[in-house]
Amino acid sequence: MIAPRHGLMLLAPLALVLAGFFLLPVLMMLPMSFREYAPGTGIVPGVWTLENYTRIVTDDYYREVIWRTLGLGLFVTLACLLLGYPLAFLIARGPERWRVPLILLVIFPMMLNLVVRSFGWIALLSNRGLVNNLLIQLGLIATPLKLMFNLTGLMIGLTHIYLPFMVLMLVAAIRNVPRDVEAAAATLGSSRLHVFAAVTLPLSAPGILAGSILVFVLTISALVTPRMLGGPTYKVMATLIYDEYMQLLDWPSGSALSFALTAMAIGVIWLSSRLTKRWAGMA
Amino acid sequence: MTSASDSDDRPGSAVTMAAFAVIVFLQIPVIVVVLAAFSTTSYLTIPPQGLTLAWFAKVLSDPSYLSAIRMSLILACGSTVISLVLGVAAAYALFRKALPGSEAITSVLMAPLVLPAVVIGVALLQYYSLTGLRGSLFGLLMAHVVITVPYIVRSALASLSGLDLAVEEAARVLGANGFEAFRLVTLPLILPGLVAGALFAFITSLDNVPVTIFLISANQTTLPVLIFSSVEMGIDPSVAAVSTLLIAATGIILLIAERRFGFHRFV
Repeated sequence: MIAPRHGLMLLAPLALVLAGFFLLPVLMMLPMSFREYAPGTGIVPGVWTLENYTRIVTDDYYREVIWRTLGLGLFVTLACLLLGYPLAFLIARGPERWRVPLILLVIFPMMLNLVVRSFGWIALLSNRGLVNNLLIQLGLIATPLKLMFNLTGLMIGLTHIYLPFMVLMLVAAIRNVPRDVEAAAATLGSSRLHVFAAVTLPLSAPGILAGSILVFVLTISALVTPRMLGGPTYKVMATLIYDEYMQLLDWPSGSALSFALTAMAIGVIWLSSRLTKRWAGMA
Repeated sequence: MTSASDSDDRPGSAVTMAAFAVIVFLQIPVIVVVLAAFSTTSYLTIPPQGLTLAWFAKVLSDPSYLSAIRMSLILACGSTVISLVLGVAAAYALFRKALPGSEAITSVLMAPLVLPAVVIGVALLQYYSLTGLRGSLFGLLMAHVVITVPYIVRSALASLSGLDLAVEEAARVLGANGFEAFRLVTLPLILPGLVAGALFAFITSLDNVPVTIFLISANQTTLPVLIFSSVEMGIDPSVAAVSTLLIAATGIILLIAERRFGFHRFV
C-alpha cells in the first residue's frame, strides 16, 4: 500500500491527458450527431434532428454497407480461425526448436506497417498484378480475374492482417490445455482425431472466443486496408465515415455513423464477456 | 512407452504442411514488396525483368519522403517517451492499490484500444478544429499518446504483477526513499516487459494512419500517410522502395529485441 495522495499524483497526469484528448473529444461528437447538415452550406444553425441515426437503419445504401461490414467481420474471423488453428497447434505442440522461429515469423508481418502490407496485396491482386499475370502466362485465364475492389480482395487483405492476432491467442489457449486429460482420453481408447475433437478443441474454446472477438472487432473497425483494397467504391463503415468527413464534409452524419460503429464494437465485446461468464459458471 | 506416446501426439504431417502454407501466406506480400523495390518495371513480372537500386536513390533524395520520415520518427519517439512516463506512473499506482476502484480505472485506461481508431480520429478532428490544435505538433503528439499509452499500461501491469513487493520493501528498509527504491530495484526488474511495451507503442505510432490522417496539415505528413495517399494516386515503384526500407527497419528492430530481451515471450 502507498498513500492515496501519492497514488493520485501518479495517476493524475495520464488521467488528465485521456480526459482532455480522448473522453472529451468523443463526448463532444454526441451533439454533432444530432445536427442537420445541408449540402453546400454546412450545418444548419438551431436545428436538432434524429435523422442522422434513423437514416442509418432506413437508407438502403447505409444498410448495405452495415451488412457488408458485419459479413466481412464474420468471414474474416472464420478464415483466421481455419488458417490460424493448424499453425497455432504446430507452434504449441510441435518441435521445441521450431517454436521461436515460427513465432517470430508470425510477429514479423504483424509488426509491419499496415499500408505496406496492403500495398503488397495490391501488387499481387490488381488487374495487372502478379497473380493475374502469372495465371495469364500459364494460359489458365484469358482476361484478368477481378480480385480487388470487391469482397475477395478485402477478405484476403484483412485475413492476412488479423491472422497473427488470432494465432497468438490460439497458441496461448492450446498451451493451456492440460496434456494429462488428452492422455487420459487416449488411454481410454479415443483415436487421435477424437481426442482432438472431444478434448483439445473444447478446452481451447476460451482462446477461440477471445481471438474471434478481437479479429471481428478489428475487422469491422478497419479503415486502411478496406480503403486500399476496396477502392473508393466498395465501402465499409470505416471508409464511409472517412468519406463523410473528408469528402462530403457531412460531420453530423459521420458522427452518427461513428457512434453506430462504436456501439457495434462494444456490443460484440459485451456479448462475448457475458458468454464467457456463463461458460465459466457452468464449468 | 512414454517416449512413443510423446511422439504420437506431435502434430501430424498434414497439420505441419498446412501450418507452413499459412506461414508462407503471411510472408508473401512482404516478399512481393521487396521484389518490386528492386524491379526495373513499374509492374511486377515473374521472373523480374531487371534489377535496379534507382528507386531507393529516388526515395532518399526526395524531400517529401525525408520530411515524412522525420515527422514519423519525431511522433513515434515523442509519444513513446510521454506514454512511458505517464503509463508506468499510472500502472505503478494501480499495482500498489493506492486508489479504490483500480479495476474500473484500468478499463478506462484501456478504452482507447476498444474504440475504433477511425472514431478517435474523427473525434479529434472535430475537437482540434474547434480548439485550433489542428495541424499542430502538440495535437498530433497527444493523439499518438492516446493510442500508444494502453500498450505501455498493459505491459507495465503485466510485468509488475510478477513482482515480489518484498524486494522494494527491503530497499526501503536499507534507506532508499520511495523513488530510489522504484528506480534502483523495481524498474530494472520490470524493464524487459517495459521494453516490449515501448516497442509496441513505438510501432503503433509509427504505423498509424486511421487517426493521423484526420489530423495532419498539408505541409506536414507522416510516412505511412504519405505512402497511403501515393498509392491512392497510382502505384510508383518508389513506394515499394520506401516500404522495403520500413520492412528492413522492422525486421532489424524485431531481431535485436528478440536477441536482447526474448521479445516473443511478451507478445
